[in-house]
Amino acid sequence: MERFDIAIIGTGPAGLSAAVTAKIRNKKVLLLGSRDLSQKLGKAHEIQNYLGFPAVAGAELAAAFRRHIDQMGIQITEKRINAVYAMGDYFALQSGDEMLEASAVILATGVVQGKPLPGEEELLGKGVSYCATCDAPLYRGKTAAVIGYGPREESEAAFLSEVCREVLYFPAYKEETNLPQGVRVIRERVTGIAEADGKRLVKTDENGYTVDGVFVLREAVAPGQLVPGLATEGSHVQVDRKMAASIPGVFACGDIVGTPYQYIKAAGEGNIAALSAVAYLDEMKRNQG
Amino acid sequence: MVKKIGADQFNEAKESEFALVDFSATWCGPCRMLAPVVEAVSEKLAGKVDVYNVDVDDAPELAGEYKVSSIPCLVLMKKGEFVDQSVGFRPEAQITAWIESNL
Repeated sequence: MERFDIAIIGTGPAGLSAAVTAKIRNKKVLLLGSRDLSQKLGKAHEIQNYLGFPAVAGAELAAAFRRHIDQMGIQITEKRINAVYAMGDYFALQSGDEMLEASAVILATGVVQGKPLPGEEELLGKGVSYCATCDAPLYRGKTAAVIGYGPREESEAAFLSEVCREVLYFPAYKEETNLPQGVRVIRERVTGIAEADGKRLVKTDENGYTVDGVFVLREAVAPGQLVPGLATEGSHVQVDRKMAASIPGVFACGDIVGTPYQYIKAAGEGNIAALSAVAYLDEMKRNQG
Repeated sequence: MVKKIGADQFNEAKESEFALVDFSATWCGPCRMLAPVVEAVSEKLAGKVDVYNVDVDDAPELAGEYKVSSIPCLVLMKKGEFVDQSVGFRPEAQITAWIESNL
């Protein structure tokens, strides 16, 4: 399998800046994200402190970023990464059924909005799961609740309904649901998850539902979930001055490492993360021989 | 070395002084990624811990007995007594440190 030097996840100012610097350093870069770049940036009305661009609209700055990476021949691969596994001397990046490989990883996914539900983290692995395709068969013939934060999570609920006796689906969004008949859609706001007599209780503002397993499926993945074993502080990744995270070979930059949430700070950190990743790769090479 | 065992051979893990049991399944992505890591851990800690692999599809009753509700799930046991568990993928260094802290 093709192994990249550096995989960069995220196409906001941090990820793009990291990609530009890594490319200048002649590294084989895999830049993962959206060709529309950062949604947040595109929507920014006016940015006043991005050096060289006084009073620039977010969309205009994004267009300038795109020209910059196009000029340097940097491609964006539009793949959603579900998990990054530290395999020792390389990282395996899972995107659906596909695995990608890189020697170093830079996380620049932005900050995950939204707090976990009460009880969610405490019961994780004890009846609460984030991965329907992983854990569904453990609930064969049992009942499961799915709390879905976006329409694209519906396919996971549909998959569960093939295995489970009953699936309750709690959409945390307004759009119409499109689910098979076996899935019971409950339009109530989930307020928490608790343990009750060896089962799980999904509490809503109106009722309580007892099930065997609860699947919490969000569009954005928290960093500790994206990279299992990574040290985090709330929704942020712990990094040092060199933007190095707790697992050797993992670097992070931009909003994901903490405030202030500023575009120019993100771009600067992307530069540091890329240079640190380059230094890491050089050292790895030296150690190999 | 990781020894694959089924429910009928689980007594071997229970009789071990110190055992690590990797509950996993063939269809689970993180389990497949963890397998080579567990293999490496078993090599490094050879003689200190006996490492087993149980496929939860073949042994659902064992998964139930050890309260495995998410996989991969690593369970540490001393002479069959449950010591601790670790759910999900973790890098090798963390698993080694976790096992050593329970030695």
